[in-house]
Amino acid sequence: MSSMVLGSGSCATVSASSMADGGAWRPPRTCEDYWSEWKHCKGIRNFFHNYYTYGEVPSCEQWKIDYSNCRKWEKSKSPDAKESLCKSERARILEKQKYDPVWKLRKTPPRDWYLPLGQDKSK
Amino acid sequence: MDRSEPPPEVAEGEDFGYRLFPERHSEAKLSFLTTSLFTFNHKCQVMLRIALDTNPYAQLLLDAMKQSGCTVYKDRHFACEDCDGCVSGGFDSATSQIVLCQNNIHQQSHMNRVVTHELIHAFDHCRAHVDWFKNVKHLACSEIRAANLSGDCSLVNEITRFKFGLKQHHQTCVRDRAIRSILAVRKVSKETAEKAVDEVFDSCFNDHEPFGRVPHSKSDAKYAYRDFQNRNRYYANL
Repeated sequence: MSSMVLGSGSCATVSASSMADGGAWRPPRTCEDYWSEWKHCKGIRNFFHNYYTYGEVPSCEQWKIDYSNCRKWEKSKSPDAKESLCKSERARILEKQKYDPVWKLRKTPPRDWYLPLGQDKSK
Repeated sequence: MDRSEPPPEVAEGEDFGYRLFPERHSEAKLSFLTTSLFTFNHKCQVMLRIALDTNPYAQLLLDAMKQSGCTVYKDRHFACEDCDGCVSGGFDSATSQIVLCQNNIHQQSHMNRVVTHELIHAFDHCRAHVDWFKNVKHLACSEIRAANLSGDCSLVNEITRFKFGLKQHHQTCVRDRAIRSILAVRKVSKETAEKAVDEVFDSCFNDHEPFGRVPHSKSDAKYAYRDFQNRNRYYANL
């Protein structure tokens, strides 16, 4: 859907100079989002949904780790916290890219999407 | 369908499922009075409006399609029609329209689910070169995604169909419904449909765009919508 655009605040910025760019980078999600994802993951509904979908219990620990790293970053701009967060989020993205796509993505939308009805019927 | 390509080689008698949607081919238009008095058209329009305005699944899909360059307009891209059989809806790629079967959708929850299901097909059509007519694997992929992400295969829905199962049953349901959908609109054998679904299942079952997760409830869909709205911050800080 979106390509990874490495902006001035990206994880790729060298950690040693993170204080210099410290104003630019921030955690990919708000700390409240990490917390709510953890709570949602731990809940009984998600336990059931995960078992129903994947046949196993969900693993929620990483959200908690990410939340504490997020708070650590907010408090002290710790480069270790930033690196851990980046590593965790990139792992989530790589997990989604495990399989080759079935189709080729478009560069532009279909040209007949907005065509008035009646003008695009082939028969 | 791209007009510059030669016409697809079709099986004899293949109608791409259009027999289920007789109004798509009919030149005769029902009068306003007939439509008002003798069809469920108005009820369909009202339920559709409610789904588009309030359902978080639909709202995320509409936003995602807008972002992909395919803004959805209710009057242009949706049509409430009478359909044959038990079919609830369809996506007509030839006219870029979602067809809702007004004679078969009578509850708002059903409308929400059908709108989500068909919007997923429309989203796939918008973001990828999906060969709906010639490539059964492409069709299979979109049907897997639609069954997976629309709530079609929730435990409650399966129980109402007398299909019982718990551990990983969601995947069984998705597979079966994808095969059924292919057989409804393509003149292919059950083996061909099953083979196509099995070949693309891993890739397509794990493609959760634009939700980022399998939304099992409105609450899940709201989390997914939140993530979608925050995507700029997310990708800018990776």
